[in-house]
Amino acid sequence: MAADLAGGGGGGAAAADPDGPDGVRMTWNAWPRSKVEASKCVIPVAACIAPIRASPSLLVLPYAPLRCKPPCAAVLNPFARVDFAARIWICPICFSRNHFPPHYAAISETNVPGELYPQCTTVEYAPPPHDAAAAAAAAAAAVPAPIFLFVLDTCLIEEELGFVKSAMRRALGLLPDHALVGLVTFGTQVHLHELGFSDLSKIYVFRGTKEISKEQILDQLGLFSAGIRPGAAGPPGYPKAGLQANGLHPSGSVNRFLLPASDCEYTLNALLDELQTDQWPVEAGNRSRRCTGVALSVAAGLLGACMPGTGARIIALVGGPCTEGPGMIVSKDLSEPVRSHKDLDKDAAPHFHKAVKFYDNLAKQLVNQGHVLDLFASALDQVGVAEMKVAVERTGGLVVLAESFGHPVFKDSFKRIFEDGEQSLGLSFNGTLEINCSKDIKIQGAIGPCTSLEKKGALCADTVIGQGNTTSWRMCGLDRSTCLTVFFDISPSERSSQPGIPNPQLYIQFLTNYQNPEGQMRLRVTTITRKWVDGSANTEELVEGFDQETAAVVLARYISLKMEMEEEFDATRWLDRSLIRLCSRFGDYRKDDPASFTLHPNFSIFPQFMFNLRRSQFVQVFNNSPDETAYFRMLLNRESITNSVVMIQPSLLSYSFNSPPAPALLDVASISADHILLLDAYFSVVIFHGMTIAQWRNMGYQNQPEHQAFAQLLQAPQDDAQIIIRDRFPVPRLVICDQHGSQARFLLAKLNPSATYNSAHEVAPGSDVIFTDDVSLQVFCEHLQRLAVQS
Amino acid sequence: MASSQPFSSVPPRPRPGFSLSPNPTPSSTADALQNLQIGRVPPPSAAPSAAAGPFSSPASRPGPPPPAATLSRPGPPPFASGHPTTSGLPTTSASITSNGPPAFGLGAPRFPPPPPAVQQPPPMGAPASIRAPPQALVSRPFPGSSPSVALPSSQPFMGPPPSSQPYMNPLPSSQPFMGPPSSRPFAGPPSSQPFAGPPSSQPFGAPPSSQPFGAPPSSRPSGGPPSSQTSGGPPSSQPFVGPPSSQPFAGRPSSQPFMGTTTPFRGTLASSSPFGTPSWQLQTQQGAPPMPGTMQAPPRMFGMPPHMPGQPMAPVPPVTGHSPLAGHQVSTPSKIDPNQIPRPVPNTSVVLFETRQGNQANIPPPATSDFIVKDNGNCSPRLMRCTMNQIPCTGDLLSTSSMPLALMIQPFALPHPSEEPIQVVDFGESGPLRCSRCKGYINPFMRFVDQGRHFICNLCGFTNETPRDYYCNLGPDGRRHDADERPELCGGTVEFVATKEYMVRDPMPAVFFFIIDVSMNAIQTGATAAACTAINQALVDLPEGPRTLVGIATFDSSIHFYNIKQASQQPLMLIVPDVQDVYTPLHTDLIVQLSECRQNLEQLLDSIPNMFENNRVADSAFGAAIKAAFLAMKPTGGKLLVFQSVLPSIGIGSLSSREAEGRTNVSSGDKEAHKLLQPADKTLKTMAIEFAEYQVCVDIFLTTQTFVDIASISVVPRTTGGQVYYYYPFSVLSDPAKLYNDLRWNISRPQGFEAVMRVRCSQGLQVQEYSGNFCKRIPSDIDLPAIDCDKTIMVTFKHDDKFQEGSECAFQCALLYTTVYGQRRIRIINLSLPCTSMLSNLFRSADLDTQFTCFLKQAANGIPASPLFQVREQTTNLCINILHSYRKFCATVSSSGQLILPEALKLLPLYTLALVKSIGLRNDGWLDDRSYWVSRSASLSILLAVPLVYPRMISIHDLASKEDDGSLLSATIPLSSEHINDDGIYLLENGEDGLFYVGNMVNPDTLQQLFGVSSVDGVPTQLVLQQFDNDLSKKLIDVVNETRRQRCSYLRLRLCRKGDPSALFFLSYMVEDKTPGGLSYVEFLVHVHRQIQTKMA
Repeated sequence: MAADLAGGGGGGAAAADPDGPDGVRMTWNAWPRSKVEASKCVIPVAACIAPIRASPSLLVLPYAPLRCKPPCAAVLNPFARVDFAARIWICPICFSRNHFPPHYAAISETNVPGELYPQCTTVEYAPPPHDAAAAAAAAAAAVPAPIFLFVLDTCLIEEELGFVKSAMRRALGLLPDHALVGLVTFGTQVHLHELGFSDLSKIYVFRGTKEISKEQILDQLGLFSAGIRPGAAGPPGYPKAGLQANGLHPSGSVNRFLLPASDCEYTLNALLDELQTDQWPVEAGNRSRRCTGVALSVAAGLLGACMPGTGARIIALVGGPCTEGPGMIVSKDLSEPVRSHKDLDKDAAPHFHKAVKFYDNLAKQLVNQGHVLDLFASALDQVGVAEMKVAVERTGGLVVLAESFGHPVFKDSFKRIFEDGEQSLGLSFNGTLEINCSKDIKIQGAIGPCTSLEKKGALCADTVIGQGNTTSWRMCGLDRSTCLTVFFDISPSERSSQPGIPNPQLYIQFLTNYQNPEGQMRLRVTTITRKWVDGSANTEELVEGFDQETAAVVLARYISLKMEMEEEFDATRWLDRSLIRLCSRFGDYRKDDPASFTLHPNFSIFPQFMFNLRRSQFVQVFNNSPDETAYFRMLLNRESITNSVVMIQPSLLSYSFNSPPAPALLDVASISADHILLLDAYFSVVIFHGMTIAQWRNMGYQNQPEHQAFAQLLQAPQDDAQIIIRDRFPVPRLVICDQHGSQARFLLAKLNPSATYNSAHEVAPGSDVIFTDDVSLQVFCEHLQRLAVQS
Repeated sequence: MASSQPFSSVPPRPRPGFSLSPNPTPSSTADALQNLQIGRVPPPSAAPSAAAGPFSSPASRPGPPPPAATLSRPGPPPFASGHPTTSGLPTTSASITSNGPPAFGLGAPRFPPPPPAVQQPPPMGAPASIRAPPQALVSRPFPGSSPSVALPSSQPFMGPPPSSQPYMNPLPSSQPFMGPPSSRPFAGPPSSQPFAGPPSSQPFGAPPSSQPFGAPPSSRPSGGPPSSQTSGGPPSSQPFVGPPSSQPFAGRPSSQPFMGTTTPFRGTLASSSPFGTPSWQLQTQQGAPPMPGTMQAPPRMFGMPPHMPGQPMAPVPPVTGHSPLAGHQVSTPSKIDPNQIPRPVPNTSVVLFETRQGNQANIPPPATSDFIVKDNGNCSPRLMRCTMNQIPCTGDLLSTSSMPLALMIQPFALPHPSEEPIQVVDFGESGPLRCSRCKGYINPFMRFVDQGRHFICNLCGFTNETPRDYYCNLGPDGRRHDADERPELCGGTVEFVATKEYMVRDPMPAVFFFIIDVSMNAIQTGATAAACTAINQALVDLPEGPRTLVGIATFDSSIHFYNIKQASQQPLMLIVPDVQDVYTPLHTDLIVQLSECRQNLEQLLDSIPNMFENNRVADSAFGAAIKAAFLAMKPTGGKLLVFQSVLPSIGIGSLSSREAEGRTNVSSGDKEAHKLLQPADKTLKTMAIEFAEYQVCVDIFLTTQTFVDIASISVVPRTTGGQVYYYYPFSVLSDPAKLYNDLRWNISRPQGFEAVMRVRCSQGLQVQEYSGNFCKRIPSDIDLPAIDCDKTIMVTFKHDDKFQEGSECAFQCALLYTTVYGQRRIRIINLSLPCTSMLSNLFRSADLDTQFTCFLKQAANGIPASPLFQVREQTTNLCINILHSYRKFCATVSSSGQLILPEALKLLPLYTLALVKSIGLRNDGWLDDRSYWVSRSASLSILLAVPLVYPRMISIHDLASKEDDGSLLSATIPLSSEHINDDGIYLLENGEDGLFYVGNMVNPDTLQQLFGVSSVDGVPTQLVLQQFDNDLSKKLIDVVNETRRQRCSYLRLRLCRKGDPSALFFLSYMVEDKTPGGLSYVEFLVHVHRQIQTKMA
């Protein structure tokens, strides 16, 4: 066993990792012990977990985990108490005593298995197949090939279609040879291309206006013939589920449509060559007829013929709104605009709810099948991301919103998903997350790219947040950056609240089963412990355990959810009141004396986060289309805390001759004529040249040898921007602009309006003002102080 | 293959001609036809093609001989004499009589009686007959001839020939005339020589022929005679003469009279005289003149019964002497001499027929005869003919006659090659001149008055003002000066160029969309491959030019479309899997210009059979497939050609196998059995109506080996102006050739698209009903997504007022259509007939073929609606009622013991019997066969209606000994098993199937020569005919090809061996035989007679 550990145990490179070795961050690292206390904390108790975050120190164990007896079923972990003599371990979560099985006989204080190493709170099991003998032989064959089913919109102008084709060609070149590929194109109708037919190009055509069930699709494609009918393949009476589980499902026939990339590359390329834009006529004054909904149904239906558990992604490239059939978001008539937030608010979007319901059902189907929907939307107008959000998010799909298929945001992002190696997103399939936790802790639900498996139990809370009513979630697709937010409720039982059994620690175990990019099934186990804080007296302990970044992000996610779920929800007001309550509770002040107000460092920038959150796209949705809002929220919900913080409060770097690049205040005051600013707002990266810099640049000084320094100055933010862009998915939009240029709005919108036209007289030369009536951070904080100290 | 050359050269398609001048020039059509016949055999077997020579023009053929021969058998009815020799059944003397008088007169003229007559008859022929007093008719006149006598005479003959043919003998000698029809075949050999000689030469030339018709014209004074006859008593005499011979047997045989023939007729008796007289008179007026015109033709006249003038009555064969005792009769049927009873006599001579003469409508020659039409006011009878050539003045008169009043309209009927093409008239922007009230089109019968400033509509009687630019002065005869220069004023048929006013859109292109069944069965039986090959070969026959568009799809449980546009590298297959709710998978490119995709299409057709080689899908989504194809064609309309091989089992309009149920029910005589002949549901009908609305015509080729429910499927072609082709059981060996030829003819025959037709008639009549393959959305018009030269539409009329005696009743059929080359035309077909208040005139002018066709269609319509026995009874009653009416009102004088048949309708009983025994009305028929029969009947032309129920049978083994003058087909044999010998080989054809019956004692040499085998034991039933290098084989091929030409059909050839089940099939066509469920011909006559007697009583 020791030998096994050697490979995985790399060493503590995780020091700089803000998420810690476990990839778990919590709003509160010290938990109030009672419900009342918890509610006084204002910020909900929640954990953000990146279930399969890449970690160099990860220990991979090549055997099956040892589990506590049901119903607990927790996996043996470093927090278990082990009685080496008796060969017994005590589960820290349920306190059950378990005997070590015979193959752990060699265990001793000096010889412990990897999962008991104290630093290995996160380990990954890679158990070999049960039948060891066959393992070697089966290994190669048994690894299911990932499936990529492309769904291409053809209601495009020629140019856009050209971009799509070239993106597709590049993607095909990057696909692993064994990956199975399928192709669906759609416009007025859906074309499913049969790639395994050599005589000529063969296409199944589905009408765009008619909703079609999975059964109908399979039937019409002749995919029912081989084995689904009971009795056809298996012995009589053999349960159907067994058939499928045993791989007798007629996946053979589905191979007409899904072929290994190496086999169909030529066919696909030829097909792309001949692919035309949708030929159905579009009447003047009308939108083209686009049946995105049916196309996705067909794709999902086709994958339904695959063995459940086979990792598959539907990669949809959509260039406009769905105007036909189920999932339609707007009518064909151009005089009817696509719904806006206002329409949604006033319930004036006639197609919205129907479409959402359609995609909700689609999501259920995909989740059942364990398949992922990725959405690449590229259009100037909306395409219906808001409606499709449910299907993408529940299946753990990726989403990218761009203006054009020729735009780098699309092109580079699209390429990323097929890239291998270090740049790889680590796209994995078929994940499930299970949570085990100490009693007194209930799980309310999760926000993020997952679906509740409705596995109810004693650990489920009465109240639900996001995907709740379960201790187990499915993530059909997940990757290294996938992050879930789990909300906990503290509800001590009568017995445990008795002071008799003081157990200062609480334990939570996260079990993530998934199929890694290589196709192997893995189980990652993360066990964490936090301490309980008793009574209301110990504010200090609570304060010490507060993670303001996480708190800000969780709040943003929580409020986004509420805005979607609750009508007439006033987010700004809710945020303000929460913030005030929080400050009242944890601030240091004298009653009714605003001047005396101070905050512990753990809270100090939280108000600023809130200030920016209030102004962000997550709360001020009216500045954006529903599609954009949906897009932003999906990313907010699935990204790590660090990234999410940037979404809420962008970072700003300033470059100048006189000093090295330095973080600058996110304030209009940071603008200066001889500075270059680099703003990272996550979705966009803005390089902003001060007026003087822009002039110099326009005059071409950077090209003159004597002004090399200037050239370097110009280049520095570009390089930094590229670093940001390279690591990020989706690729952010890069905006390069000059002071007073029209594109400068991308920067100005994010800055604290400390100088507005109202205060113009105070402006220093070279700086800027923002034309807004919004309050500045300073005003906001003043008000906060005043309100927080009120009695 | 030799044959193929002719074709290939021919290929000039009819189209071009057709298109250019809207009407195909006769010759071009003929060419086309030829091609058809000859049939290039599809690749598979070269054999069949033997070629018939190009169409040596039948007209030209000298070959009249046969006709002469035809005539009579001496019907030695004389039972008394009852010489066993002739036939089992001696005839009674009483039995057959013809009312000769009128008939004779007519008959004689027509048919070249001469030959046979040579000896004695000749004299009689002309003069004698005429003069003879009616009474003479009676047997007495020819005392000697009295049955007994007759026989003897005949016998002698027989003696000699007998060796070969027992029955025939009798005939030979005496009755040259009659011969043809009945026994001839057999007799042929022996007798033939005698006849042949004389007949050929004389018949025509012979005065006889000329006299009748020609007489008036020029050559003969005969004209004179008729007239005289009419007036005088002569008529009476004539009748007799005539009657005897001609009527009884074949109509034409009129010539018989001479011989002992007369004798047989004793039965005729005076009876004839009664009507005779009246009829005569009438004749004089009308008949006389007309005849001349027609007859003139150098050639011969038609053989058939037709006496134009309509003289009535023929004959009779009656039943035994005295009617009185029913019981007696029953016992006596045997007294009728089977050889004496009326039978059709084919006729190969060509006649020139002028439609009008002396401002009178001429009575057209029989539809089945060969004639050349000169249109001088009335249309060619090929295009439109009426069940009676005089119109009853009142509805009462019509109902008294019990005859139907209907028009058979075949608007694109193929003209004779020697006929003038139909003229096209362009009225410019104003469009054709029409009556402002009834919208009738200008025609020769519109009367210009007031110096031409006004014209009176002959349809509604309204006085219209003549447009200024159409004004023309009238001549002294009241006709416009320019009448002869203007086709619309002098021709019965004309085409107008349609103006914008007649178009709701631009004329549609010629769209041909093929859809092919590729389900497992279709693939495995070779049907798919056959269809692909046929289409591939037929592509060259599609009209050239950018207006020809094609599309193709295949289907099993889903529908596969193909984008065959040349631009794409390879065809693209687009599958529509939803067969419950179909759609078209592309907006464009499914239907493309032929020139643009020919190569791709050919390649695709080549590869389809391979592509689906391993198809295991057994389901067939026929309904969905045609619906999907329709959606693709919706913008243009066009022809949808469907190749279907199994029962549609899935998707819209799917059907269940009603077959099993159907079989048991039919056999058990279930009263509901006929419901299985109705469409299973309304789905297909509803679809078809929609198709029609968008001008999509569906033709269905059923290449099947199983039940496909034609009753349901056929609704689609029937509603859309298409037709069903039925290949059951499909044989990959022999059927591809027919499939190809059928397809080729289908796409290359003269046809029009997006047509609307309306028939107008003079005030006094109104259209009662249209019947045929079309869709009717408003009462007055019928919509024909496509109309072609093979389709006939029946229109029935009823009176709503009276006509004045002596006035004329006009019919005008207007057909608005688009040619395959995209011109919009209006074809106007006019027919104006005299009105009469004399019942006898109606009978005299009755048109047997047309009436029979009418009955056939009515029966076909009735089959799905009522139990079979009822349909049969109704059909029989139609016949009985007519004969009864005739007997009651026109033959009152005759003895009640006689069955008196009007001359013009003397074959009605035979045809009726044949109809009752036809596939459609038989009890034992297979469900699909009957449905097919019903659907085929709906659009059948007169020309093909007769053979459908009364097929033509000729002997093959002795072909070599027959004259090779193109008349080989005329030596028909009655459809009675008595006439079939064990050492003979026979060909029976009904326009659809060609059955070779091979006896069990056939000379192996003959077999070797014909089929290349010395024994037929191993030869498959599905026959592929090859030409071998010997005279017999060549002649056979000639015969087959000639038949194909005549029928515009390739024929499915089948071999029936005596002693085989296949022989039963053949024998089921022997309509004169007694069958378990049906009467023999003689028995039927007795039955009819008895019914009439009952009614009379």
